[in-house]
Amino acid sequence: MKQQEAVKALTISYEVQNEITQFLYREAHLLDSRNYRGWLDLLAEDIVYQMPARITTEGKHDTPNIDYKSRYFEETKQSLLTRVKRLDSTSSAWAEISGPRQRHFISNVFIEKGVMNEGGNEEYFVRSNFLFKRNRGSALTSEELFGAREDVIRKENGEWKLASRIIYPDQTVLGTINLSMFL
Amino acid sequence: MEKQSGITKETLLNLKEKLKAGVLPQWVLADRDMYDLEIKQVFGRTWQFLAHESELKEPGSYVTRWIANDPILLTKTKSGEIKAFLNSCTHRGTLLCTADSGKQKSFTCPFHGWTYNNEGDLVGIAVGNKVYGEEMNKEDWNLRPVPNVDSYQGMIFGNLDHKAESLSDYLGNMKWYLDMMLGRSDGGMEVQGSPQRYVVEANWKVTAENFESDPYHVQFTHKSSKELGIAPNDPFFPGHGHQVVLDNGHGINLVQLDDTGISPIPYQGMPESMWPMFQKNLNKEQNDMVKDTFFVGGVYPNLGFLQFTFPLLDSDNGFYNFLNFRVWRPLAPDKVEVWSWHLIDKDAPQEYKEKSYVSFLSTFGPSGLLEQDDAEIWSRVTQASNGIMAQDKDLSYNSFLNYLMGMDRVQPNEDFPGPGVAYPLCFLDTLSRSMHKRWIDLLLAETPVKEEVR
Repeated sequence: MKQQEAVKALTISYEVQNEITQFLYREAHLLDSRNYRGWLDLLAEDIVYQMPARITTEGKHDTPNIDYKSRYFEETKQSLLTRVKRLDSTSSAWAEISGPRQRHFISNVFIEKGVMNEGGNEEYFVRSNFLFKRNRGSALTSEELFGAREDVIRKENGEWKLASRIIYPDQTVLGTINLSMFL
Repeated sequence: MEKQSGITKETLLNLKEKLKAGVLPQWVLADRDMYDLEIKQVFGRTWQFLAHESELKEPGSYVTRWIANDPILLTKTKSGEIKAFLNSCTHRGTLLCTADSGKQKSFTCPFHGWTYNNEGDLVGIAVGNKVYGEEMNKEDWNLRPVPNVDSYQGMIFGNLDHKAESLSDYLGNMKWYLDMMLGRSDGGMEVQGSPQRYVVEANWKVTAENFESDPYHVQFTHKSSKELGIAPNDPFFPGHGHQVVLDNGHGINLVQLDDTGISPIPYQGMPESMWPMFQKNLNKEQNDMVKDTFFVGGVYPNLGFLQFTFPLLDSDNGFYNFLNFRVWRPLAPDKVEVWSWHLIDKDAPQEYKEKSYVSFLSTFGPSGLLEQDDAEIWSRVTQASNGIMAQDKDLSYNSFLNYLMGMDRVQPNEDFPGPGVAYPLCFLDTLSRSMHKRWIDLLLAETPVKEEVR
């Protein structure tokens, strides 16, 4: 997890809980409604955006099963911008022409801890679950991905920004034909 | 005519005639009987890629894989030997090991507790002496080995056919090109992490052909990458170079970025400090190819590869090379599971390896800007291939797919310095026709009569 050096721990107020939950819902709305430029505005300039692979491991029920060496996303703000540019400034992003209908169902928002970082910004370590559903063309079946996210959400100049996101899929074999969406 | 699971020999001979004329009937992309026949005749009898050596680092390491519907347990034994078994308990058939990878000395079946070591020997039977006595010979109940396992340049293959030709003979003149891709560095190549896995609603022949023999699709399927400057913005890219038809349906495209023959990104963008090592390990002809071209091709039937170089999505400077191998595992006539590995030279600097991986993620695999569009289009072929017209085996609607590009028009380059028959451009269906010829020959091959079955 990328988080600046903590200076002091913060208590998590109802107000912060509410603001962060609303931030995640707003983010999901921007993605669902394909307002990707608006979504990029929510990302901190130094965002870390990763999706490692899930694997099946031997051992007891709680044996770790994320392979961090194997990934599906390893992005910076600039690379995410390039991905968005492909969708809105090229004529041939076939995976998203026309854009499949998509929903991000975000739940179980849990703020694990908050700190004041060295730069004097509040940062909260936030867990959430996601269920992503997508329907293309006239398909009778819908694709889905689900799993957990670990975010760092930071307050910069009075605005909440996503500073880090690690996406942990629960499927070892992905249930979508591609990852042309953002999670 | 002899019936082969719903498809007659006559049907197959007709297909062969159509292929000679440069067309492939569309029904073969979605027909269940054809698929079942392919599983037996193609996947049951060809060498199938299982793993790269670097995935089995030390004695006790194992990975589980699939050859179509056969679960395979691949182990590294105490002595360092690689062994492959049907991943199924010999007692009642249970899937023995459910993990994707790991390290252990033995495998115990959860059903009745039979235990095997990583040599495949049955070493423990729960309450064995009391219930089976001395009469049962344990050795008769060892894990069932894959009849043929061998590796070439670190690539481990298995073949279920008892009478298979050797891996070396099967690969034939493809080996020269595998040497070039995998043998350029002293330390060889290594895999980074577990393979990516995802499922596409597509026929395996469509995906296999897409990688091995169809650079033509790049100019339009991947147009967005040209528009973004990730791929060269030349309408003829990647047509420049050579398409090389190799033994047994294998093939490679040696792609040039432009028509000068000299790559603006020498040695595929690998660090200059490594060039002398490449020159030492490769012969002159191979060295020239690594220096000035990029590779995309396949080992028939379902192992695709790409050794290419792309910029990162977040910077304008620097091109990073990677080798991607992928298996198209057939799951159904309209379903393929993609297994995709990133490889890079073990000797490359650590920082370069990481950038190489990010370059791979940016372009290939399910999140890659190029492959995202591939998957969409492969699945569209399936969507349009299931109806009465596309499925008509009498071909009364002219439901053929066109493989006429370059046919009888483009002659081989006699001066080409490598093995195989090389044509002086990559926008060509010659390699596709060779793949499908191999396919029909495998389907037509007589099943050898088993000499004796216990």
